[in-house]
Amino acid sequence: MIPSVERSAPAGVDANRAAATILDLGFTDLVSIPDGESRHLHQALLDAPGIDVYQPTREGEGIALAAGLWVGGRKPIVVLQNTGLMEAGDALRGCGIGPHIPLFLLIGWRGYPGAMDGRLPIDSAYPYTEPILDAWGIPHRRLMTDDDLGVLDEIAATAEETSLPAAVVYGYGFRS
Amino acid sequence: MSIERLDLFHALAASRTEEIVVTTMTATLQWPLVSSHPLDFDFLAFGMGHAADFGLGLALARPERKVIVLKGDGGLLMSLGSLVTMGRYGPPNLLVLLLENRSYEMTGGQPLAPKVDFVTLARGAGVDKVERIDDLTAFEIELPRLLTEPGPHFVVLPVTNSEPLPPVAHTDHAERVADLRRGLGLE
Repeated sequence: MIPSVERSAPAGVDANRAAATILDLGFTDLVSIPDGESRHLHQALLDAPGIDVYQPTREGEGIALAAGLWVGGRKPIVVLQNTGLMEAGDALRGCGIGPHIPLFLLIGWRGYPGAMDGRLPIDSAYPYTEPILDAWGIPHRRLMTDDDLGVLDEIAATAEETSLPAAVVYGYGFRS
Repeated sequence: MSIERLDLFHALAASRTEEIVVTTMTATLQWPLVSSHPLDFDFLAFGMGHAADFGLGLALARPERKVIVLKGDGGLLMSLGSLVTMGRYGPPNLLVLLLENRSYEMTGGQPLAPKVDFVTLARGAGVDKVERIDDLTAFEIELPRLLTEPGPHFVVLPVTNSEPLPPVAHTDHAERVADLRRGLGLE
């Protein structure tokens, strides 16, 4: 069982504040397959000037697309659900970890809120999310409330300093 | 009809100037026989089936430069959704040359599903400029257009290979990336 997180602010993150932070960090491209929890962030970035948005058909494809963008001189951010992270394993290994491409991953933690509320998870995705990142050596931090928005800056810096993928896992999604 | 792959590569290398060329699988073994260019990129082992996705990202990032992807039909079957994304976002400077040999050549020639029509798949996915070129002479005639005309282009090329394949080059993946970025003036 994954322990719950003590929090003082409301669960979830303001999508417009998160989008503003992402833009401030200089990301040029969003590669995203939105899930129910990230749809407001996806829309906020679609509406924002100064960032191009691409919606691939699967996450592994998106990882490779983002790698190409970075190698070509752009600064992409990849938003994907934890289920997509699992699908994208080979692409993340091959297009991120192996060639030292600093992909910033913003990962939806499907199943976490329900599990914390004591409900039976709808699938097995949530307990594997952080262990998978650990197994791949990908640094990660949790984004649970507006108070945590600083982790975006922190993990972006980690990715750049190490020239390796780094991740933020959002537990409660983004609100409009 | 079909094209001997190394002949096709010779023809492409003879016309290529400053385009990025992304290769994967068996193309990574034979392309170096005809080209040694700072904008050659060996995608082998970067992610199964994803060479065209990577090429799409490069093309979007570098709109001033043509990006040519040499990939096989087996690899495309591993990421068919790539065609949809190429159809939606493919920029004018992307040229995908699909080397159709109807097999997983790298692993011993296991045949692919025999009825797949890659031209129809690409058109159905929304790729604007899709064509099939069946022989070397036609390829040599069409190549100047493919290198200059705005795309994105998706070209199916039935190929054979009668040459022995060189061994896989065990080069560092991070170095491959750094070399390409240096070639692009980014490092």
